[in-house]
Amino acid sequence: MKLRSNVNARPLSVTLVVLAMVVAACTGDTTDTTGGADTTDGGEATTTTGETTDTTAPTTGGVSNPDTFVHAADDEPTSLDPAQVEAGEGGETVILQVFDRLVEFSPEGPDLVPGLAEEVPSADNGLISADGLTYTFPIRAGVVDHLGNPVDATDVRFSWDRVLTMDLPESNVGLLADNVASTEAPDAETFVVTLNQPNAAFLNSVVTQSVASIMSEEFVEANGGVAAGQPNEFIATNPVGTGPYVFEAWNRGENMLFTVNEDYWGTPANLDLRIEIVPDPDVRVLGVRAGDYDTIETDPSFVGEVEGAEGVTVFQGEFLLEPIHIGLNLNFPADQLPDTDTIPADFFNDPRIRQAFNYAFDYNAFINGALGGFGAPTPFYLPQGVLGYSEDLPVYEQDLASAEELFREAGVWDEGFTISVIAEQANLFEVAALVLKDSLEGLNPNFSVQVLAVAEAQFDEAFASDPLPYAMWVKNADPFADPHAFMNEYIHPDGNWGQVHGFRNGYQDADQIASMIDEASIITDPDEREAIYQELSALLYEDPMWIIAGNEVAVMAHRDWVQGFVMNPLWPRPSLKFALFDKG
Amino acid sequence: MQIRDYVLRRLMVLPVLIIGTSLIVFTLTRVGGSPIAIYLSHEMTPEEVAEIEERYGLDEPLPVQYLTWAGGMLTGDWGWSGVAAAPVRQVFPNKLGATLELAVAAGIVAVAMGIGLGTYGGSRRDRLPDHLTRVFSISGAAMPIFWFGILLLIVFWVGLGWAPIGRSNADVFSSITHPTGLYIIDALLAGNWTALVDAIWHLLLPAVTLGFGTTALIARMMRSSLVETLSEEYVDAARAKGLPEKLVLRRHARRNALIPTVTVIGLSFGFLLQGTVVVEIIFRWPGLGRWMADAVLRGDQATIMAYVMFTSVLFLLVNLAVDVMYAYLDRRVVLGS
Repeated sequence: MKLRSNVNARPLSVTLVVLAMVVAACTGDTTDTTGGADTTDGGEATTTTGETTDTTAPTTGGVSNPDTFVHAADDEPTSLDPAQVEAGEGGETVILQVFDRLVEFSPEGPDLVPGLAEEVPSADNGLISADGLTYTFPIRAGVVDHLGNPVDATDVRFSWDRVLTMDLPESNVGLLADNVASTEAPDAETFVVTLNQPNAAFLNSVVTQSVASIMSEEFVEANGGVAAGQPNEFIATNPVGTGPYVFEAWNRGENMLFTVNEDYWGTPANLDLRIEIVPDPDVRVLGVRAGDYDTIETDPSFVGEVEGAEGVTVFQGEFLLEPIHIGLNLNFPADQLPDTDTIPADFFNDPRIRQAFNYAFDYNAFINGALGGFGAPTPFYLPQGVLGYSEDLPVYEQDLASAEELFREAGVWDEGFTISVIAEQANLFEVAALVLKDSLEGLNPNFSVQVLAVAEAQFDEAFASDPLPYAMWVKNADPFADPHAFMNEYIHPDGNWGQVHGFRNGYQDADQIASMIDEASIITDPDEREAIYQELSALLYEDPMWIIAGNEVAVMAHRDWVQGFVMNPLWPRPSLKFALFDKG
Repeated sequence: MQIRDYVLRRLMVLPVLIIGTSLIVFTLTRVGGSPIAIYLSHEMTPEEVAEIEERYGLDEPLPVQYLTWAGGMLTGDWGWSGVAAAPVRQVFPNKLGATLELAVAAGIVAVAMGIGLGTYGGSRRDRLPDHLTRVFSISGAAMPIFWFGILLLIVFWVGLGWAPIGRSNADVFSSITHPTGLYIIDALLAGNWTALVDAIWHLLLPAVTLGFGTTALIARMMRSSLVETLSEEYVDAARAKGLPEKLVLRRHARRNALIPTVTVIGLSFGFLLQGTVVVEIIFRWPGLGRWMADAVLRGDQATIMAYVMFTSVLFLLVNLAVDVMYAYLDRRVVLGS
């Protein structure tokens, strides 16, 4: 999961204050800047014979670009193909708007609503079999894609099978491959999925995801078809779905243009859409202040620069599902660690050391500083909003006395240690690493933490290594809608990180943890699942494999004229469905 | 030796320099890290990493990879840009157009203002205009580009609403075709006045930002060169002949003072291209510099190598052009060679 933006200290606020008087002197009214560059004095665009004579965007009634919703994104996608897009990557933003899935998260929260399926399967409506293995989706009739190709159950089956056939390592294909045993389309209006084993999170964690998006077979076959192990370069840059927005153009480094799908089976979008590529956070802030952007990719660290600005509202929503965590590696090759590290290979095998690290970390400094107060501690590994989360679950707070006691018990207090932590530079991850450094080095001068802040490419290269040649690293979790995904990915001793980090070397009872996670994944009663996850979370508090620095609150700066604003962290970043918005 | 022979001899050396540059670019880029980085994520198994290496030919021996890359560069297959999600060759012309347009515009700003200010200050040595142009020059050289750019945005974009950001208005952009990728030229070719004004208007702030530092450099060089030239005996002789001061300045002093200044201008073009990285990020200008910065951070080596090769070759060509201009301005260069 990529982090949204940089948090470099910026001179912007200071510069703004200094320049405010200059600007006031020039304009006579510093607050009348809603149109920014793309406005004219009269707030009206003048047009002649079909040509816009204003060199900037038109305005109506003080609203910039009245017919187009403009969002400022922080980076450029690398693929717009659901079969290739990486989870958390910018392409998911586009896929959410252009494609449909069988079911979707509602705007209000985790509830599912029908997408291309007419009903959300459940045991009650009989669309989930008694053994929990077979899901039947009644498919909407009369749906066409943006080129007019009809889309029915055979296209749904084709779309899922296409992802499985292409099997691209950069994609989220594992979600389908790990769960789906077979797919069928007995008729044009029925799609049937059989699972390998019951999975209570199937609808939430698989069917709603980008990788399960639907496209027409006719479109794919006319544009490169399907080849195992090979990306489809055409579709990666020219997506055609059935969603509320029609993809029109991708001007690399500038913007992506979309028009309203007038034939959308649901409620059509109100406005055309333009996603501007604006990597510099300062420019995004200036853009929303100028009125050129309706929403901007927002980071808690620069909320202060837009809060209170004329015409700008800062939306604070639910928590994101991407806690920022520090990995504790129990499986590093000691001879490959950075030369400065002095820790033995079994350093983190001792639960007292892991607990001590958790007690030492200054959560308040990170949450109130780096996150600007827009965050909270998170229990293992149940982020706020996920089934099982409760405020009563134990979370670590900084307790230096307990940390010292545990370090002494583990026998590392007097001798001390030097340990390296790797993180991407110039973002919240680096800040979390620096907070850890301050926390530990402040606790004991014999402790030394080397923060290796590196470029994203270097981090990714190190991060993909197995075994991982660093004892600690910082990143954020991938967002999931169901607790099983978090538990399986970040807690299960035989899960993805469990294997890489060697959790079995450290858990006091690895089999118990594994069996609890496995058991909860196949139970369909939410209350029973919740009880298991909460019991598990309490166990993990005593046997932590991570330091969870904090979980961010979803924040988004938008212009006041945006109507119907809603944000759901369960949707891919920036957690917005632009078709729901209007301006006025 | 004739100027033609001199130019031909320089042209014959050029391919050797380009091949040498390509070897250095390829080697240094590979030393800097694996090209696989941009495609990796932590979920990938070693087998999946191997799949991707095979997909992009990264499992071949390095000499084979070099020959494949160098051959591709010659034939137009410059690889896949992970950052732009498109073939490098497909994206490159537009990015190049954007950067060239910006660099040339900044160069025009810098040369026009630099020579003008330098001449103005140099011909009024130690008087108020000279001091003022010196202050201007020093501030231009001292002011960081990113700060100056943000300053202009705050005043002219957010505050006054006079200047837009980006390269064009999306509607205006799509109203004409873009055969050259240079929007001003495209607008002229289309005969579309609105598009022309839009292109110039969007270009103004980034060009001034980028050109400001170089303006200062050229102005300082021009001023000192002119001061030196004005103290030459042949200038005194011209004055003694009774020529008006304006004519002495224009016909005798400025032309000779331009020789060292032209050297600076030639070198400055390379620096302008490098300076576009910051300006393009700040002004959301979709050029090579911003693309390249993103590619470096994300390890997109196909993009990096294409960019570095381009700037290297361009630098070689510009320097060749400068040398030819030298020869034109001062025949002793040719005779001496």
